[in-house]
Amino acid sequence: MRNKLYKWILWGVVVISVALFPHVVGIYYSNFFVAFAIFSLYAVTLNLLLGYMGVLSFGHAMFFGTGAYATAIALTHIKGFPLLPAVLVGGLAGGLLALILSPLLVRVSGTAFAMLTLAFGQLIFVVALKYREITGGEDGIGGYSIPPLNIPGVVSIDMTNQINFYYFAIAVIVVCLFILWFYTKTPFGSLVVGIRDNAMRIDYLGFKLPQIKAVNLIVCGTFAGIAGAVHALLMKLVSTVGVLDINASFVPIMMAYIGGVGSFFGPIIGSGVLHLLEDLVIRFTERIGLVNGAIFILVVLYAPMGLVGLFREAKAKWFHEEKVS
Amino acid sequence: MTILETKGLYHDFKGLQVLFDVNLQVQEGERHAVIGPNGAGKTTLFNVITGTYRPSRGHVFFKGRDITGARPHELTRIGMGRSFQITSTFNRLTAFQNIRLAVLSKRGIRFQMFRKVDGMGDITRETDEVLKRINLDRERDMPAGVLSYGKHRSLEISMALATDPDLVMLDEPTAGMSRDETHHAVELIRRLTEGKTLVIIEHDMDVVFSLADRITVLHYGQILATGPPGEIRQNQAVKDAYLGELEV
Repeated sequence: MRNKLYKWILWGVVVISVALFPHVVGIYYSNFFVAFAIFSLYAVTLNLLLGYMGVLSFGHAMFFGTGAYATAIALTHIKGFPLLPAVLVGGLAGGLLALILSPLLVRVSGTAFAMLTLAFGQLIFVVALKYREITGGEDGIGGYSIPPLNIPGVVSIDMTNQINFYYFAIAVIVVCLFILWFYTKTPFGSLVVGIRDNAMRIDYLGFKLPQIKAVNLIVCGTFAGIAGAVHALLMKLVSTVGVLDINASFVPIMMAYIGGVGSFFGPIIGSGVLHLLEDLVIRFTERIGLVNGAIFILVVLYAPMGLVGLFREAKAKWFHEEKVS
Repeated sequence: MTILETKGLYHDFKGLQVLFDVNLQVQEGERHAVIGPNGAGKTTLFNVITGTYRPSRGHVFFKGRDITGARPHELTRIGMGRSFQITSTFNRLTAFQNIRLAVLSKRGIRFQMFRKVDGMGDITRETDEVLKRINLDRERDMPAGVLSYGKHRSLEISMALATDPDLVMLDEPTAGMSRDETHHAVELIRRLTEGKTLVIIEHDMDVVFSLADRITVLHYGQILATGPPGEIRQNQAVKDAYLGELEV
């Protein structure tokens, strides 16, 4: 009972702080927070493959980037394209890409999965770079305007106001994270975890393996696409660098490992750590990759279950006596 | 009635012939043991029947249907259950979560994404009942990977049974168990397979002769003899090839 009360108080504090955040720290850091939230969602979708299903995607940016491009293209070419559908278009594009690739991707695991995703990720990166008429090549797509959040007959909220956009983006991402968290708790989610531990036994228990893998892949693609869509709205510019390049595929892997692949919230913590770190390190040196890399190596060597794993271990140690009694 | 039948089954691994013209018949409700020396092809026979491999030649019939080359999940859905010689559980999941996956399969719950699995009271109840029946209720929340060997084997066997199959195929369920553990495992198998058809691979002759109604002896991929335990015990060819070594 007391535990439950603490939990509610904790969530209350989190909600209030997030609500007050932009008013306390200003626009720069509220945009910073939105970027953190976007990458949290993106890293969580990667972890649904890595930590839950047990396959490492080395080309996850293809879903994120396709989502971002889809939203940018829709907003550029269709006049008066509304806000929510713009976000959904990103998700649909990511999900559709996952659907198209799933017949190949569900048939492999381990290294083959990593290599195939890497190959498709690079392929889409090159396509986006070369297909200038649609993607703008290296310049990317920019200059589209962010439509207002329009609920006909009720309100129309201006999204060029950055504080309004902050609330909108955070709301979208929190809803997505909640859906994904719930998804891991469903019977289907428990099947996905079974695949990670022992795919053959899942087959022998009467579940059709490729189908389950494909559905999970599509879910991950869709939500990575939504993360990309919100990213496109935040940056007002989509180009291959940052959403489709190999680095964009690698960032969520680092986040997942640093936070902890064994937990749903691990990648969110990893995203927080990397964003804070970047903000700190950039004041002293531009070689941010060096610092990130060093931390990544340390985590892989000394805390394979990430910061969440370390925290759990410490908790188990401190409360050991209480647990026994 | 014949529930399982193989007709002229052959299997080879890249030229290495493992099964030669195996014609096996298992009657509904019987407890059928498959015995034979190491390398006789017992596990390969299981793998070909349960869909791990497609046989090179020949056919497998289950409940009168030709199931040659069917995938494992298809066979599970029409009532075949299987355990493995090398324990094959979900090692990072708890004993409870392991059994729960089998219970979900039995209920046909596959793509349910709108309810929390923890909130499904009937699933939880049935899973706990299974755990109680196999004496694992105290280990309910322990990861399968840290269970003692005997308990882990019990979990392995009961996962094959928790989908409620009509035909249960157990591949050396007592492999590596102590005398005591073997005794418990046999009792467990006896209890859980009541009214079901059982095909079991076993090396322990005490287990075989106490459990089986009929025995098939496999030798170099061929059936040497099939019959009730008394007959197999007296069979000269079987004595020469296999039982003689064991001084039964």
